[in-house]
Amino acid sequence: MEQPYKHYFEVMPAYLTILDRDLRIIEANRRFRKDFGDYEGRYCYEVNRHRAERCEHCPAERTFRDGQRHGIEEQFKNLSGQEVSLIVYTTPIRNEAGEITAVMKMATDITEIKLLQNQLRESRERYRQLFEEVPCYISIQDRDLWIIEANRRFREDFGDFLGRKCYQLYMHRSEECSPCAVKQTFQDGQVHQTEEVVTSKNGKQVDVLVYTAPIRDAEGQIKSVMEMGTNITQIRQLQSQLTDLGLVISSISHGIKGLLTSLDGGIYLVNSGLEKNNRERVKQGWQMVERNVARIKTMVLDLLYYAKDREPNLEWIPAQSLAEEVFGLMRGKAQELGIDFQCHFEPSAGDLAADAKAIRSLLVNLIENALDACRVDKKKRVHQVRIGLKGYPEYVEFEVSDNGIGMDQETRERAFSLFFSSKVGDGTGLGLFISNKIVQAHGGGIRLESELNKGTRVTVRLPRKGPASRPALPKPL
Amino acid sequence: MGSRKRILIVDDEQDVLTYLSTLLQDHGYDTLLAKDGEEALRQVEFNLPDLVTLDISMPEKSGIKFYREMKAIDRWKQIPVIIVTGISEDFKKFISTRHRVPPPEGYLTKPINQEEILGLVKKFTS
Repeated sequence: MEQPYKHYFEVMPAYLTILDRDLRIIEANRRFRKDFGDYEGRYCYEVNRHRAERCEHCPAERTFRDGQRHGIEEQFKNLSGQEVSLIVYTTPIRNEAGEITAVMKMATDITEIKLLQNQLRESRERYRQLFEEVPCYISIQDRDLWIIEANRRFREDFGDFLGRKCYQLYMHRSEECSPCAVKQTFQDGQVHQTEEVVTSKNGKQVDVLVYTAPIRDAEGQIKSVMEMGTNITQIRQLQSQLTDLGLVISSISHGIKGLLTSLDGGIYLVNSGLEKNNRERVKQGWQMVERNVARIKTMVLDLLYYAKDREPNLEWIPAQSLAEEVFGLMRGKAQELGIDFQCHFEPSAGDLAADAKAIRSLLVNLIENALDACRVDKKKRVHQVRIGLKGYPEYVEFEVSDNGIGMDQETRERAFSLFFSSKVGDGTGLGLFISNKIVQAHGGGIRLESELNKGTRVTVRLPRKGPASRPALPKPL
Repeated sequence: MGSRKRILIVDDEQDVLTYLSTLLQDHGYDTLLAKDGEEALRQVEFNLPDLVTLDISMPEKSGIKFYREMKAIDRWKQIPVIIVTGISEDFKKFISTRHRVPPPEGYLTKPINQEEILGLVKKFTS
C-alpha cells in the first residue's frame, strides 16, 4: 500500500481489514489490532467471531464471487469477549488486469446506536402498555372528531372505534355534543373538563368524568386531542343515595315543623281546657296530640326507608283499585292542563303482592312525567295521557303513555340516571331514578319507549307474588 | 272596647286551623278558616277579614297564588298578611315570584311562637 494511503488506512475510525480468497486477514488497521489483537495468518471468522468455520452469509465471499459491494449487520466478539454490533461493508480490490485479488472489509461500531434503538423500543412499549392498561377510557380524536386511536378499556366497553365519531360511539347520538370539550381544546389548546353519562356497547349507562388535552406536533400545532374519561358511576351512586337522603330529610323536616305546630296546638288546647275547666277542649287537644304523635311515628319509619335499602312492605292489593285511586288523584291536574286523560283497566287484572304506598308514588311520578311531556309540547293541538293495566298469570303490567314531546335516544338512555332531567329548570333528576328503584325493589322491570315529538310509553311489570328473593306472601282467604 | 277583629286563618292542616283559631279566639279575636287559596278568596270576598295568616304549601290554590290575587284587588290589598310556613324555601320562592305586589306584613316559621304571632296580629290590627 502506498504511504499516504497506508496512513489513512491506519487512522480510520472503523475496523479495516483486507482478506485474501481464503478469507485470511492479510492486513488490518490500528483500531482493529487494538480491539481484536493478533491476526496474522488467521481467518477472518476466527478473529472476528471466534469461530472455526466460515460464516453462513459471508459478504467478503460474495464480493469475491460477484465483484460487487455488499453490506451486512454482524456481531463481532472482541479480545475481551465483548459482543460488538457492527455494520460491515466489503469492497473488491483489483489488480491491473482487473482481477479481484483481495477484499477490503470495513466495519463500523453501531453498538451505541443499537442500544439507543433498544431503549427507544422499550420506552415505546412501556408507554403503549401504559396507554393500553390505564384504568380509564382514552381516545385520540382528529379535528372532525373521528377516533383515530383508543385504549383497551375503551375498546372493550365501547367496541370498535374505526370509522366512528366520538359522539356516535360514546353517546349514541347523530350530532355532535354542544358544547364539545374536544372542539374547545382544538380551539384554545387548553385542558377542558366535563361530566357525561355515556352508553357502553351493551347498553350500560356509565357516568364519566372527561378531560381533554391537546397533542401537538414538532411545530406546536394541535394535530389531535386526547379525551380521557374516568368511570365515576360508583361515586355517583353513592352521591345519589346521599341526595335521596338529603331530599327526604328536607321534606321530613318540613313535615316535622308542621307536626310540631299541630302538637303545640294540641298541648295548647289541653292546657287552656284544663284552665277553663273545659272538658271538651281537653279531649279535642288530647286527640290532636295522639294523632300527631302517630304521624311522627310514620314519618320516622319513612326516614328509615330511605336511610337504608328498605324491603318493600308487601301486602296483597287489588291492582285495579290501586290504579283507579291514582287515576282519580291525577284527573284534576290533567283537566287543569286540558289533557285528555283516559284509563283502560282490565277488570281481571287481579291482586298483587306489593308496597301500596311505593307503587302509588311510582304511578303518580310516571303520570306527572306524562302530563309534563304534554304540557311542554306546543306542536300538537290535542294531548292524551292513557293509563293501562293488564293482568298476566305471573305478573301485572301498568302502562303510562302520552303523545307529548317525546325523547331522543340520548334522553331515553339517560332517563333513569340520577340528576338527569330533560325538564329545563323544572326537574330534580330524581323522579325516574326513584321509580326505577321502587320497581327493582319489587323484583320487577321498567321499559321506556319514546320517540321525539311523538310521545312516550313507560311499561312497569311487577311480579304478582312480589320479589322472587322474598318468601311468598300468604294470600288472604 | 271596639268590635272584635276578624282574622282569616289559611292552612291545609286541620289541626293548625284548630290551634290558631282557639288561640286567637282566647285572645279576643273572631276567626275565619280556609283550607286552601280558593276557599280563602271566598272568605275574603264575603267576610272581609282584618288580617290573614297564610300557609304557603297547600294543594289546589297555593298561598302564593292567593296572595298575588288578593293583593291585586284594590279593596283587599290593605289587608295585612302574616305568612306562616314550614320551610324557608317557601319564602324564597314567594319572594322570587311576586311581581309588583307589596311584601307581606309578617313572616313566621313553624312551629309558631305564641307570643310572636299574637304580637304581630295585635300590631297589624290595632
